[in-house]
Amino acid sequence: MLWFERQVVSTLMSPTLDAGTRSAVESYVATTLHSMPEHLRAGVAAESIVLGSRSWLEHRVGRFDPHALPARLDRWRSSKIDPIRQYVRLLHSLVLFAENEFAAGAGGSM
Amino acid sequence: MKPPRETVQTDVLIIGSGAGGAVTAAALARAGRTVMVLEEGPWVDPDALEPFSLEEMVAKYRHGGSCAALGRPAIAYAEGRCVGGSTEINSGLYHRLPPELAEEWQRDYRIDEFTTDALDGYAGRIEAELGVSRLPGAPPASSAVLERGAAKLGWRSVEFSRVFRYESNGLAVKQTMARTLLPAATEAGAQVVADCRVAKLVRDGRRVVGAACEQTMPDGSTRELFVRADHVFVCAGATQTPALLQRSGIRRNIGRGLKMHPTVKIAARFNSPIDHGDVPMHRVTEFAPGLTIGGSASRRGHVALALADSDADYADALAHWEHVAVYYAAIRSEGSGRVLALPGARSPLVTYNLTEGDMSRLARALVHLGEVLLAAGATELYPSVTGGGVARGPDDLVQWWDALTRNAANLMTVHLTSTVRIGENRERTGADSFGRVWGYDNLRVNDASLLPEAPGVNPQGPIMAVVARNTDQFLTEA
Repeated sequence: MLWFERQVVSTLMSPTLDAGTRSAVESYVATTLHSMPEHLRAGVAAESIVLGSRSWLEHRVGRFDPHALPARLDRWRSSKIDPIRQYVRLLHSLVLFAENEFAAGAGGSM
Repeated sequence: MKPPRETVQTDVLIIGSGAGGAVTAAALARAGRTVMVLEEGPWVDPDALEPFSLEEMVAKYRHGGSCAALGRPAIAYAEGRCVGGSTEINSGLYHRLPPELAEEWQRDYRIDEFTTDALDGYAGRIEAELGVSRLPGAPPASSAVLERGAAKLGWRSVEFSRVFRYESNGLAVKQTMARTLLPAATEAGAQVVADCRVAKLVRDGRRVVGAACEQTMPDGSTRELFVRADHVFVCAGATQTPALLQRSGIRRNIGRGLKMHPTVKIAARFNSPIDHGDVPMHRVTEFAPGLTIGGSASRRGHVALALADSDADYADALAHWEHVAVYYAAIRSEGSGRVLALPGARSPLVTYNLTEGDMSRLARALVHLGEVLLAAGATELYPSVTGGGVARGPDDLVQWWDALTRNAANLMTVHLTSTVRIGENRERTGADSFGRVWGYDNLRVNDASLLPEAPGVNPQGPIMAVVARNTDQFLTEA
């Protein structure tokens, strides 16, 4: 998982999750991204590099503010550009599924 | 350094162990043939993981469940990648091929000996062996919702049979291939090799002489394996079968004409808790086979995903997720797609183009699904349409007609077919009436790829019947 993807996943996670669950969710997202078809993974990675370039540069000079990321993700979520919208949707779906599955009682009764 | 390549010999090589490969393997092994089945995915104990759980997705789904057919919109799809293939991960709903489709396919693709009587004969044998049955007793609440909603609207609904056996303690056991026909094949002498990916088939003129494979060993190392075979059946499913054939240089009418059942979903909230451990077995068939309405897996993770697809504020609904279940409407699509092996890549590119008519049908499907759920007592409906708006009454459904656009629709499917269609019409098919690939004497396809169109119902039953028919034909010829 690329640096920016890790930041996005961390931002998308519910703030109430404990450290163990956060780590499990991040690990699940990393595993799923790794096992995606090559062409889809390449597309997601390319978007991460393009969309994350500003954050990465800020990080390199010690000025990255993770608190600014939620607003940026909100903008991308409603972007008119389909791949940008889908980028956030993909990562959000993986995070959402994992944190709800890891929550107690994910399944149900027969 | 990799160890030197080992060569093994078999009479019949079967690539893939799902509904196609397992039926083929059991029939041929019982007929006394020497059979080897290669499965790319791992062996996973069918009792080890909770159905539809995250753990199951990681262990049994191809790409962990993250596959998509590219197009406008992209369509997410799921398929199995383990011993038993997609039979290990599907809902087990079982249908025979509708007679009108058998007639239509026979006529349009000129398929020899493709009659409802013949197919029903094979279906009957499979049903008897696997145990196809209805639920003993009353349906769970999630399933009764569909029956109740349809009754209020005066629509037809039915409880479909499933490939399930019910134990004396009431426990329902899905009769997956890992539980049934693969053990039967093994008992009859077949060898099933897991974690073994076929890179390509090796050809010599009109014959395939074997398969070059990479086997992953228990310690994680890999070894190259060459399986020499007199006859080869490719049963790797509608995306992997054409990809393997293309990688092997076999391309004529291979991978074109992909069909699927594009599906929209609704997360429906009710006033009282609803069960989440099973997939509803009722279907609303008022508009079948063009449009079918049913229920999906609704674990907490699925509920969260379905709620989020609407892009509405879903926090309160998610906090009461026990009151929410996920339902779907699937259409028979007039669009089609393509599977294309990419040089150097392990995964093929899958594309699908929905027509304007399909988009219209999906909007209609979404509205009908909303109608039936509201009639059944749902209080809030969250559609899988970004910005579609939450519906709380019939008047709110009107907005969905315009909301379901190519940019806003979040679609998925689990049924992929038709990438190596059968028939004597060589312009439209990749294989003859019994699955023999055009131009090759000993190479056959025997899986979902063969169905000329998506059947509008869960395809496992039709796939198994066609596969059993083709296998019988093979035994009369070779």
